[in-house]
Amino acid sequence: MKKTIQTLAMAAIAVVSMTSCEDDDAPQIINQEEVITTVTYTLTNAADTTDTVILRSVDADGEGPNAPVKTVSGTLTAGASYNGEVRFENELESPAENITLEVIEEGDEHEVFYNSTVSGVSISKTDVDVNGNPIGVTSTLSTGAAGTGSLSIVLRHEPTKPNNGTLSDAGGETDVQVTFNVTVQ
Amino acid sequence: MFIKHFVAIVFFISCCYSNAQTCDLTLKGKVTDFHDVQPLELAQIYVKQMQKTYISKADGTYEITGLCAGIYDLSISHYDCNTKNITINIDTNKTVDIKLEHHISDLEEVKVIADVHDNHSSTQSSTRIKSETIEKFSGASLGDALATVQGVTSLKTGNSVVKPVIHGLYGSRVAIVNDGLRQQDQEWGVEHAPNVDINSASSIEVIKGASALRYGGDAIGGTIVIEPSRVISKDTLMGRAILQGQINGRGGSATATVNNYRNSGWYQQATLTYKRLGDFESPDYILSNTGSETAAVNIALGFKKFEYGASLKYSFYDTEIGILRASHIGNAADLVTSINSGQPTIINDFTYDVNAPKQAVQHHGIQFNTYKRFAGLGKLDVDYAFQFNNRKEFDIRRGENAGNASLDIDLQTHTIAGHLLIDALEDFTIQLGTDAMYQINSPDATTGVRRLIPDYSAYRIGGFTSALYEPNENWILDAGVRFDYYQIDADKFYLQSRWEDLGYDTQYPQFEVNEQGNQILTNPVLDYNLFAFTAGAKYFFNDHFDLGINLSTANRAPNPSELFSDGLHHALATIELGSLDLEKEQSYKINTNFHVQQGKFDFEVNPYTNRVQNFIQLIPTGVETTNRGAFPVFEYEQVNALLYGIDAHATYDFYTRKRSKEMKSNPNEIIYNVEKLISLSTRFSYIHGTDTSNDEALIDMPPAQIQNDLIWHDVADTGINFQLTHQYVWQQNRFPDNDYDVLVPLDDGTFENRTVQISQTPEAYSLWNAGFSYAFAKAKLSITSNNIFNTSYRNYLNRQRFYADEVGRDVQIQFIYNF
Repeated sequence: MKKTIQTLAMAAIAVVSMTSCEDDDAPQIINQEEVITTVTYTLTNAADTTDTVILRSVDADGEGPNAPVKTVSGTLTAGASYNGEVRFENELESPAENITLEVIEEGDEHEVFYNSTVSGVSISKTDVDVNGNPIGVTSTLSTGAAGTGSLSIVLRHEPTKPNNGTLSDAGGETDVQVTFNVTVQ
Repeated sequence: MFIKHFVAIVFFISCCYSNAQTCDLTLKGKVTDFHDVQPLELAQIYVKQMQKTYISKADGTYEITGLCAGIYDLSISHYDCNTKNITINIDTNKTVDIKLEHHISDLEEVKVIADVHDNHSSTQSSTRIKSETIEKFSGASLGDALATVQGVTSLKTGNSVVKPVIHGLYGSRVAIVNDGLRQQDQEWGVEHAPNVDINSASSIEVIKGASALRYGGDAIGGTIVIEPSRVISKDTLMGRAILQGQINGRGGSATATVNNYRNSGWYQQATLTYKRLGDFESPDYILSNTGSETAAVNIALGFKKFEYGASLKYSFYDTEIGILRASHIGNAADLVTSINSGQPTIINDFTYDVNAPKQAVQHHGIQFNTYKRFAGLGKLDVDYAFQFNNRKEFDIRRGENAGNASLDIDLQTHTIAGHLLIDALEDFTIQLGTDAMYQINSPDATTGVRRLIPDYSAYRIGGFTSALYEPNENWILDAGVRFDYYQIDADKFYLQSRWEDLGYDTQYPQFEVNEQGNQILTNPVLDYNLFAFTAGAKYFFNDHFDLGINLSTANRAPNPSELFSDGLHHALATIELGSLDLEKEQSYKINTNFHVQQGKFDFEVNPYTNRVQNFIQLIPTGVETTNRGAFPVFEYEQVNALLYGIDAHATYDFYTRKRSKEMKSNPNEIIYNVEKLISLSTRFSYIHGTDTSNDEALIDMPPAQIQNDLIWHDVADTGINFQLTHQYVWQQNRFPDNDYDVLVPLDDGTFENRTVQISQTPEAYSLWNAGFSYAFAKAKLSITSNNIFNTSYRNYLNRQRFYADEVGRDVQIQFIYNF
């Protein structure tokens, strides 16, 4: 009986030690793909290309604990019209991945929504997907009188298209939701 | 003093159920071998109504005296034979000869399974699911069948991912033992259902506590023991085929089992199962992307003699399960929209196609077992098993990643176990065992999504001993002790910001390996010493009443998910974080079991209490903002928990006299003129869980529920059985308030602070099921409708309750053929 137990124990040790030799290569790092670390909305005055305002939200650790850092490079001119272009990037990858290209390519599955609480500010989308529905990577922003308020950019994945231009009608899954404080003067 | 009172109460109860009768009738006869008519000595004749076993003498004769007039169920077993169940109506002294089929040759297999509360040989609280019940679930999942046991509920994700919950606990706290070895299939995840084909099970035993030490001491919730069909030593080919179709889901399943047994001891067994379902439907809409496809293979080859034997088994389980499309959301604001909309935000036409989000899981198991009996000692078993589990989860992805898995984990587990059963002693049964496990977890590094569970290797080595003592026919005493050493050695990348935010840079600098970009590679090595102890006693007051009490204390090491989780969960838009400093859980459970068996009435009540120190659970700790919006953060933390509850089960059978068809062909055969007319049964369970550290309710505790069944046997002599089931589930009024506020963008560009109501529990609901079944020759046909009234309801223990109603009315047809 004792011998059997000894044999068993030996067998157990043998199996464990045999299989133990397999691993111990350090795992490969995974840089999170698809995460949008950087949202940049560049507004260029249609009448004066030196008048640009850049809105940026950078979340360097993606899903990590740090909140995005937001910067707005200046103020918008009252009563002007701006050409807007939004850019989504993943700077966790090197070189940074330009996710905007995927959004344009899968334009029928994406849409960018802009909203501002500044009175007189209106934003309209100038690009369309294969079905003729707006995407919103490029836009025009026109300002009215001076004022301050917020400007939000929301990117939805697989929204209802066409929709009436509102977030509630579009539905879908939020890929980006950032808000900036803007001033028109 | 207490006993005296108790006996008095018991006596009082017994008066109510027994009629004044003369109880001096005798049943006698002879037990013989069916083949050679040799008398069988030591055959056990168990009388269900008396809960008493009689033994046949050397000449095969037996005598049961002191019987009252009435109906008795007898279960006759012999170590070399198939157990035979007969029903006898006693009105005068009677002689009944019994013939037993001589083809089982394993002493261990002889268990007098009188009813579902069959555990008259142990003090633990356990319930057995019979093969007839398992057959009914041929097209469903293991979790669905287990939920028929009082005290067992299901934690679901949709309708196809069903995890068993025993006395409020699930996941790593419940061990699933398939054919003698513990299933290793990443059971830690809430959305991970057991990868077991229910059709390979012949019987399932649910042990509601940590007392099954042979299979590990850490199952503080309970152990589910799945047993394949028994091997018989006789030249025979037997099997079963089941075809099942259902309207809801517009699909069905097919399964076949073939067993080839030889008198020489050689045997082969095979079970094949295939199941395909499309989208389920709730009463008001299609549950888009809830289809599934499952295939399973179980093959066994073995040699079995009474003294020695060996077997080699292979099992394969492959499933692809769609996850409700509308439950994949972007951020917490989307969750508010989903909860408020009252119905899924995405409803498409019915389809069999399964798209992302979905999970695809494959489980392979190879198992080798050998045993030898030693005269004057007992039986030694040695098992080795290798399990390979691959799990892929597919999220909604963009660009070139669309269609690629975002999680792809290989889990390999080697297990070796030795077990010695010493049954040669008169009053004692002793078990000794040792086992070791080695496990490697390797997530695919090319998914483009940071690993949810890191690379790790884990070792476990343990041993146990237990003893069962039966000093006389009134008492059963048992006790056992187990020790395990467990070590987990992981290689994990943390985001630098996360590593520092959690304070690990100062707490665990020794784990740091190197920094790569904004991530840090770490090598946490954690080990745990786990103790388990169980002791119990069962007392049989008389033939009708028994009372059992079982105490168990057990440790559970934190699982990889609790230690290392790190990321966004799309189903609930939460960031879940593991914790490296978790200690082992310590459970102290007392199970009591009172059982009454009084003629046609059978009643069992099982109150229990489970105190768990360092109970690991997810606790909300704040909200984090990303470019995607805001997410609540849940961290695994430890609290003290107190769970208590009660399970009850009662059955009552009405009998009727029917003309026996058997009598004509064989007038000497047992008289079958008493048959069940109507069977009633009731199951009830209630659980109360409290986080005593914070003095609030525990999350995800099953609400109180009751299920009543009525079976009308042989309706109007047609041979058709009719079954009606009613289930009522109360609203769970005890839940922690984990609601949080989040800014939701409105159409006018402003934001509104809204509460995400994730805590509120669904309302009570009531469901009716009914069905007919007809058995003819070797076949059985049944038609069942579940949720007949197409009731819309939501289930607190369904992770998709925020998005959609449960499935609506279903009609199923099932055809079983035995050969």
